[in-house]
Amino acid sequence: MKVLVTVKEVGEADDDFEIEGTDIASSDLEYDLNEWDDYAIEAAVQLAEAGIAEEVVAVTIGPERAEETIRMALAKGADRAVRVWDDAFEGTFADVSSKVDVFEAVVDEEEPELVLSGVQAADTAFGATGVALAERIGFDHAAVVNDLDLDADAGVANVHRELEGGIEELTEVDLPAVLTVQTGLNEPRYASLRGIRQAQRKEIAATDLADLGLTPADVESTLTLTEMYEPESDSDAELIEGDAGEAAGRLAEVLREKGVGA
Amino acid sequence: MIDYFDLEASLSQEERLLVDSARSFVEGEIDDMGEHWIEGTFPTEIIPKMGEMGFYAPNLEGYGLPGVSETSYGLLMRELEACDSGLRSMASVQGALVMYPIHAFGSDEQKEEWLPALGEGEAVGCFGLTEPEHGSNPSAMETRAEKDGDEYVLNGSKTWITNSPIADVAVVWAKDHSEDDTPVRGFLVETDRDGVTTNKIDEKLSLRASITGEIALQDARIPEENRLPGVSGMKGPLSCLTQARYGIAWGAVGAAQDCFETAREYATDREQFGKPIGGFQLQQRKLAEMATQITLAQLLAHRLAELKEAGEMRPQHVSMAKRNNVRMARDQSRIAREMLGGNGITADYSPMRHMTNMETVYTYEGTHDIHTLILGEDLTGIQAYQ
Ligand SMILES: Cc1cc2nc3c(=O)[nH]c(=O)nc-3n(C[C@H](O)[C@H](O)[C@H](O)COP(=O)(O)OP(=O)(O)OC[C@H]3O[C@@H](n4cnc5c(N)ncnc54)[C@H](O)[C@@H]3O)c2cc1C
Repeated sequence: MKVLVTVKEVGEADDDFEIEGTDIASSDLEYDLNEWDDYAIEAAVQLAEAGIAEEVVAVTIGPERAEETIRMALAKGADRAVRVWDDAFEGTFADVSSKVDVFEAVVDEEEPELVLSGVQAADTAFGATGVALAERIGFDHAAVVNDLDLDADAGVANVHRELEGGIEELTEVDLPAVLTVQTGLNEPRYASLRGIRQAQRKEIAATDLADLGLTPADVESTLTLTEMYEPESDSDAELIEGDAGEAAGRLAEVLREKGVGA
Repeated sequence: MIDYFDLEASLSQEERLLVDSARSFVEGEIDDMGEHWIEGTFPTEIIPKMGEMGFYAPNLEGYGLPGVSETSYGLLMRELEACDSGLRSMASVQGALVMYPIHAFGSDEQKEEWLPALGEGEAVGCFGLTEPEHGSNPSAMETRAEKDGDEYVLNGSKTWITNSPIADVAVVWAKDHSEDDTPVRGFLVETDRDGVTTNKIDEKLSLRASITGEIALQDARIPEENRLPGVSGMKGPLSCLTQARYGIAWGAVGAAQDCFETAREYATDREQFGKPIGGFQLQQRKLAEMATQITLAQLLAHRLAELKEAGEMRPQHVSMAKRNNVRMARDQSRIAREMLGGNGITADYSPMRHMTNMETVYTYEGTHDIHTLILGEDLTGIQAYQ
């Protein structure tokens, strides 16, 4: 089977950073592979090592700079990569559906049986790309997966999903499927020097919208960043005390004061 | 880590990935180097993990070795030594002093037998050159090998041998008395052979997170095919040392960078007299000097890598770089320690650990003095060390 892994390069701000317009100054950002995508890559590579996956393809939407990050995914064992970028993305803030437009086109091209995606991206933390993609391409899906046992012959993925409050759901997902991957699924490997060398010879296909049969209008985002600012860090935290009833009462009061449910 | 002249920008993508990966490995796998240093132990569980990463002799080709650039190899040594000189010593000895001579001078059988196992960290090697009575002048070594039928019989003692107590194989340099002029030859001696003992040297006050020992050879018999066929004379051990010293020239930069970062962070946090100590001119001068010296050493290391890559590096180039960069790290680690005040005296902070490690690094692989004399000879044509 072919496994497609969506990966994203995310920027992490230094302790001290400047804001330039609606973004953090790029000199104050360290770019790295999104943490959760690292688990997704590891899961895919383990499937390949177990002889279940024949090919692991990493796909990213990102500018040329992102090659280094995606190369890390190749160094860890992905077979090849697709990097989608287009002038149409320059200076815009892609929303979930425009990303899904792109990934849908890539799925059409690659025809994977399994798509692995990080549960969320460390920068925007929308946590939506994987599930929205599943919906669009009509694959089954499971989100927040922290354990995966794939039965390729039966065409099912037995997964554990981490739900709120420490609850775990055990469920079966029929392939083809999209799984969004949570911390705990595995321990990502470090790229070995051998892997890093081999990665230099692996393909990263630079792809634009036209290559995917899309137009800039298809990926037009409904989101624009209007402002970027540092939140006031002076907080006057109130510790709510008392039993559950009292605490809930006080909490409701505070929320109402702040305008929630008004 | 400090890179004031943005040398990192001159790296290839592959080299940058290597730095990233080596750094995450060290962060993720080495729990508490300070603790190992205090206890006088090496985290032996990482030996095979470093092998999996391809950290041993990564610049060599074949036998499953990654064959990375000389800059990559240097960068790796820098990252390891930023953690601890003991960690870098593990990789240096295994790669440059054991695998390199087997790769360069070994028979095909020796290469097949040892290079994959050493490369993967399944086997540990050590390098026996120094003797109790012959350190700076190893050509006066007394350890001898004598042919007896299809075996060699080895006698002598080596000391200060990194990893000898945990080694599976020792590259022992000895004078072959069955040849005319008794040339120095390299022998692969499995440490479990009769007549081989490897006592540990305890209570070192430097390089504590590295295991050091002796190799005693008493009528130790090895098959004749264990001799390295491809080299005779001091060129054998000295060519290995050139490889290892190259790594040290890079490694020392890492140790100094780690000291610098620790001192800078401390100086901006720690307040006295109502402001961070880094706000006082005296401390700023120390940081400015430290940053400058580190940058100069870094430049030297990068240029050395270019020369090595181009096949134009001479051993004297390595002597100058090892000599300068280790002295730099030795001096600057002390300044960093000083900036940390009383806290700098504990193993909770790295500078004093680096500082004491540097005493070993200053001494092994040719003492600072000996490198001075090598340069002196190169510059004047007159030998001064004998
Ligand atoms: C922790 C540690 C690990 C080591 N690991 C290894 C290893 O794995 N394998 C190995 O073979 N060796 C190893 N060594 C040994 C190291 O290489 C020697 O200690 C070093 O070469 C110096 O030799 P020496 O100690 O006999 O000092 P000496 O040669 O006796 O030198 C003593 C002093 O005299 C100076 N001196 C010597 N000759 C001259 C001269 N002609 N002119 C001016 N000054 C001179 C030296 O610079 C030094 O300051 C290790 C040492 C240590 C401390």
